[in-house]
Amino acid sequence: MVGTRGRVEVSGLTWRPFGRREPVLRGVDLTLEPGERVLLVGPSGSGKSTLLRALTGLLGSVEAGELGGAVTLDGAAPGSRPGAVGLVLQEPGAGVVAATVGRDVAFGLENTGVERSAMPGRVAAALRAVELGDLPLDTPTSALSGGQTQRLALAGTLALDPALILLDEPTAMLDPGCAAEVREAVAALTADKGPDAARTLVVVEHVLGPWLELVDRLVVLSSDGEVVADGPVHDVLAERREELLAMGLWVPGAPAPEPLAVDATLLDPAHLDPTRSTMAAAPFSVERTTRRLDGTTRTERAAALDDALDARPGTLTALVGPSGAGKSTLLSALAGFLTSTPADAVRVGADPGSADPASLDARTLAGAVAWVPQWASSTMVARTVLDEVLVTARALGRDDTAEVPRARALLGALGLSHLERADPRELSGGEQRRLAVAAALHHGPPVLLADEPTVGQDRHTWAAVVGLVAAYRRAGGAVVAATHDAAVVARAEVVHQVTAPTRPAALPPARSPLVARCGPLALLTGALLGIPAGVLSPHWSTSLAVLTVQVVLAVVGLSAPGAGAPPAGRLRTVALRTAPGLLAALSVGWSTWWLAGHDVDAALTVSLRVLVIVVPSAVLVPWVDPDRLGDHLAQRLGLPDRPVVAVAAALQRVHTFGAVWSEIGRARRVRGLGVSARHPATVLAHVSALTMGLLVRTLRAAAELAVAMDARGFATAQRRSWWAPAPWRARDTLLVALAALPLVAAVTVR
Amino acid sequence: MATSTTEAPTRHSITATRPLLGWRTVDILTIAFLGAAFGVAFWGWGIFYNGPITALKIGYAPLMGLFTGPWLLAGVVGGLVVRRPGAALFCEVVAALVSMLPGTEWGATVLVSGIAQGLGAEIAFALLGYRFFGVGAAALAGVLSTPLEWLFETVKFPASWSGPPVLGILADGGGWYAEWGIGDKLAYLATMAVSGVVLAGILGWLLTRALARAGALSAFPPGQELRESHAV
Repeated sequence: MVGTRGRVEVSGLTWRPFGRREPVLRGVDLTLEPGERVLLVGPSGSGKSTLLRALTGLLGSVEAGELGGAVTLDGAAPGSRPGAVGLVLQEPGAGVVAATVGRDVAFGLENTGVERSAMPGRVAAALRAVELGDLPLDTPTSALSGGQTQRLALAGTLALDPALILLDEPTAMLDPGCAAEVREAVAALTADKGPDAARTLVVVEHVLGPWLELVDRLVVLSSDGEVVADGPVHDVLAERREELLAMGLWVPGAPAPEPLAVDATLLDPAHLDPTRSTMAAAPFSVERTTRRLDGTTRTERAAALDDALDARPGTLTALVGPSGAGKSTLLSALAGFLTSTPADAVRVGADPGSADPASLDARTLAGAVAWVPQWASSTMVARTVLDEVLVTARALGRDDTAEVPRARALLGALGLSHLERADPRELSGGEQRRLAVAAALHHGPPVLLADEPTVGQDRHTWAAVVGLVAAYRRAGGAVVAATHDAAVVARAEVVHQVTAPTRPAALPPARSPLVARCGPLALLTGALLGIPAGVLSPHWSTSLAVLTVQVVLAVVGLSAPGAGAPPAGRLRTVALRTAPGLLAALSVGWSTWWLAGHDVDAALTVSLRVLVIVVPSAVLVPWVDPDRLGDHLAQRLGLPDRPVVAVAAALQRVHTFGAVWSEIGRARRVRGLGVSARHPATVLAHVSALTMGLLVRTLRAAAELAVAMDARGFATAQRRSWWAPAPWRARDTLLVALAALPLVAAVTVR
Repeated sequence: MATSTTEAPTRHSITATRPLLGWRTVDILTIAFLGAAFGVAFWGWGIFYNGPITALKIGYAPLMGLFTGPWLLAGVVGGLVVRRPGAALFCEVVAALVSMLPGTEWGATVLVSGIAQGLGAEIAFALLGYRFFGVGAAALAGVLSTPLEWLFETVKFPASWSGPPVLGILADGGGWYAEWGIGDKLAYLATMAVSGVVLAGILGWLLTRALARAGALSAFPPGQELRESHAV
């Protein structure tokens, strides 16, 4: 099994990020033979991910620090051949670059300037290797499950034929079914052991069991960032078992950890009434309307609760089912963030006097329900750990003198006392998870809604979260949890099986309007031509003539000749986009009338000018496809490749930014931080918190993606090739010529 | 590594790694993502923004200049974070593009506004040689983001141009507020400038510092400045 490539040598590797006193990695020496399969483990914070980044040659590319020692791959620096090292990140989607599957896999090929004609074959081969060969190449990357997304990332690295593959907790955020798919794909890759095809594999994981058959060797890092054990996997496992358990690792065969003993009186039972039902829901469904970047909307059933739910004091109700079945959506509806169908299906509070959670103001809602989302880090609302715990109690107007000691005791029970004054966003993932549950429960809400409270956690955090929830139930709290964790399900009194609602079959493609058949540059040019047409209209009579030409052109452009169903919502789209322009026209006209001596002529002139400028945008811009825009900006206009690719990647994630924005808003609402138009300070606090939260998440995403893109040769992509062509066709010329007609009218009619 | 703490704090800011034009992948992506996030935030702010603005338009319209600052933030923050030539312009243009695609009341002109505003901020950072990024530099970037935008909104080509052959087509044309009197236009410039200094400049500087404190800028000079100020 000796291969010819993929030999890794690490000698004396030390890394200390600036701003930390102690190195994260300390004198690491490691030699990996070609084709060797290694499992790398260690306690949380031991520098495993950092070591992987060092093996890609990207250490220091997004974080500044002091680096010592050397890393080589087959005798050269690891980054010297683009794509020689493939990297798959923990969070599914963190490394997704493009809007479609084919294009995403081709990203590395584009960066290395591979001819377009050679791409489809290599892309298809890479997708087959990860068992995604059946997916059409134009499948949207956003439509993939978590497991498929991780396999897509793997395919993206395979396209560049890596000698070394690095997997950074690739299944930590997946449900068991998806995790198994990913492992099968990895097994298929490494089983192929021809001397030339051999690839060295390094996997970081803290659930060891499922990987044992896939690896030969186990390397253990200590919390100080030193290699403390290294050898054949079963030998190390046998010799170091106790040490590995103490690190919080899930060692096969070991019993589940003992839940942490937490004193139930810390959870404020004074506010809990253990005799009354606290949340009840009749069967309901949730319809989700997604608004796409082009302004069109689509409504489909996102989730359904088939049986009535009654969260009684002291009980645990588990929502189980495969990923994508809608468990998180149901929890959001139970918290009143989403509207249920029928409305009013969900009631919180003791009966009588129960209410629809969606109708409650923030403080009342916070007193009735607590919610812990799956990504706890994005929903921290305070500046220090202690304040985070106290947020809701303070919002409810409770006196600090009683609350602070209890908050401190709670932090102490969870081993977070030493972090009391730290910024919650600086905590590790496990610490954040413990803090999030503590902060949700501290004020004694009668119901806790928890989304995957134990997923991806090490044994220590698992024990803390399970222990805390048990104490809350003893105090009289009711818990509803979406979970895949068999040990959590086993603790539940009631289990609801959630199945994905059947989605209506995709409608056959409708005929597209004439304008939609044109390229993005022609559409943008057409929209921009409205500006000189408006600016050059000296009088409202000219503008009226220009506007008439524009309306005629709009009717022609939006017509959709041909066979098939007519496209829906054209008029609505244009009307929605013209409405703000009408508002602007009115306000500009009014201010001019007011300031220019009540001159109706002048007011009409500027009003119509606004319409002349805005109408072409309302008609044309909805049909600009952001992905194709990138192709055209780079290939047609010759704009620099790397910024264009970055903007295209950002554009195809814009909808996730919108989701982050609303998630932070929900987290604040359920913690009792409401917004009231009567109190401008609350509006200001809300807007700044949302903006800040959005920016922090965005910057983290950019840093993650930068690593993933550089691992696929983006840093050195000076002369890229492109997966998709960017043709300029006769119809584009025609569109621009027609869009220039109003401008011609403006100049000649005057 | 021993961090020197005896030196008095210098007036220079920490600059981007050399060469200044050597954009790293993380620089490019950060600007693109920041711009897109600001574009999304622009929609969100619109909800809160429409109220007061509409009220002002009914009253004395030039006062609405006081509310223009937030739309200039992308350029200022982009420049303050990445500190490379082009960062401010790039960031503001991406924000404009993202806010244009789903439709705004100003149509494709937001793209022109994005260029006008971003260019202004870029000029400010260029005047300072991409070496100063303190609150003063941020305020300068904020205030310089406004004049080009103001010109675009208030320009009025004189009717007397109707004579010459080429300029003739411009005669009597103009921007949104072309018909206002010069006094009102200047009042509008003044309110925009104030807003640029406070809501774009100073607020942008505070925002950048807050992002650094949240640990989101560790790859950038503002993150490094924060670490050095905390180094023991």
